[in-house]
Amino acid sequence: MDDHADVFEDVRRGMIPAHIYNDQEIFELEKERLFSRAWMFVAHESEIPQPGDYVVRRVLDDSFIVARDEQGSVHAHFNMCLHRGMQVCRAEMGNASHFRCPYHGWSYRNDGRIVGLPFHQDAYGGEAGFRRKGQRLLPAPRLDSYNGLVFVSMDPEAPALRDYLGDFTFYLDYYTRQSPSGIELRGPQRWRVKANWKIGAENFAGDMYHTPQTHTSVVEIGLFREPKAEKRKDGCTYWAGRGGGTTYKLPPGSLEERLRYVGYPDEMIERMKRSWSAEQLRVVGQDGFMISAASAFPNLSLVHNWPRVADSEAVLPFISLRQWQPVGRDETEVLSWFAVDAEAPEEFKKLSYKAYLMCFGSTGMFEQDDVENWVSLTNTAAGSMARRLRLNSRMGILADDTEVVPALTPEQFAGPGTARTGYGEYNQRAMLNEWADHLAAPARSATATHVGGPVPEPSRDPNTVVNGA
Amino acid sequence: MPVLKADFGACQGYANCVAGAPDAYDIDDDGTVVLLKERIGAEDLPRLQEAARSCPVSALTIEDA
Repeated sequence: MDDHADVFEDVRRGMIPAHIYNDQEIFELEKERLFSRAWMFVAHESEIPQPGDYVVRRVLDDSFIVARDEQGSVHAHFNMCLHRGMQVCRAEMGNASHFRCPYHGWSYRNDGRIVGLPFHQDAYGGEAGFRRKGQRLLPAPRLDSYNGLVFVSMDPEAPALRDYLGDFTFYLDYYTRQSPSGIELRGPQRWRVKANWKIGAENFAGDMYHTPQTHTSVVEIGLFREPKAEKRKDGCTYWAGRGGGTTYKLPPGSLEERLRYVGYPDEMIERMKRSWSAEQLRVVGQDGFMISAASAFPNLSLVHNWPRVADSEAVLPFISLRQWQPVGRDETEVLSWFAVDAEAPEEFKKLSYKAYLMCFGSTGMFEQDDVENWVSLTNTAAGSMARRLRLNSRMGILADDTEVVPALTPEQFAGPGTARTGYGEYNQRAMLNEWADHLAAPARSATATHVGGPVPEPSRDPNTVVNGA
Repeated sequence: MPVLKADFGACQGYANCVAGAPDAYDIDDDGTVVLLKERIGAEDLPRLQEAARSCPVSALTIEDA
């Protein structure tokens, strides 16, 4: 496998080799160097509120049990029995104090520790043959959370999640901390699309240019009043830390008036005022920008829109989280959650859920529009002609890399990172530059866990760490 | 009042009982069942009977004291 240095060089110039959206070698490299390192979203704490609650989530090919133990701590354990490697938990979600392997009956507490090992004495000669004490399901190398969003990383050396996300947390708060209680989720809906995972992540990160074209019919029927072309260029895109997104420009008014304009009731606005920083409030109330779609590198996206939910001018905002889970070079599993402020009035939650389902999720109208494009794009990227094409992803910059429209000043936009109005593909470039940085850096070899048995000589296997020795 | 009994020699450490009734049964570090209580209330009987009957080697019984 070549090192694809020319691909990364093209990407950094904003010229995208079209085949990266359907290429087996690139996908193998993504698995080896990107998904082996980056922090990846697996669940929200509100999905597992009670001791024993669990969800089973994948990180590419690896299945993890994300469970809350009897003491209330959240764990993510590799869903593989230490004995013969059978999947320990085969349900997708539930509540259990223990997980028992269906193959030979080994069982584990919901904090991962082994509890049942049938015929330990007869079969292994007890501890002398198999060190049972201290054995536990293999934990995810790293687990951390932000506003209840639980992430794992396959890299034990990964930076702290907060440092990884960087200033993107400023924007993440708009979606996930509208009150001190944070969000609660419904879902996920889970389905597969025959499209490369990067396309959706890039689209949510910054593609405000597609809205007037792809989603024309949604505007025509009056579901969403915003995506008109001139409206989109008035909003700004921002990139901060390891994420970025799009915004809409709000009509003139106070903070309260602007939040009411997108459909928030006054009691929710009061809680936002207490939950957000002065700068976070200024972006909405003074600068006049309202967050819409966003992506955190590599494959978590968010969306906040405010469609009309009935035959009136009234709009209602909804929040959705989604993960673009790669299945292969040309297939992605989408997990899509509805999110809502836990303290929102019940009637608001109900209508907001309806607004979400009309727009996104497996039946959502925006969803259908988008995926038609992305499947087609992925198909077209598979052949030999795509290898001859470098797509121009330089929107917003001139040939000498100067900007078509200057970045917003701190006086115009109080948020961190860089924000720009006008059409641009700054965020897609930021996303793919991050992608190139990951893929260009060789991966470290992972350490092996030798379950309760003899260990190879250090000279043969310098990376070995022995579990329970 | 019903009383939990265990045949500690028969126990093979499957831990089915622990999954069924973690408030009554546990497995120690040597892989043998531990009774966390002996006498149980009548209201717990159906649940604990099910946990005891889930033992693959029939090491657990519940007797009337």
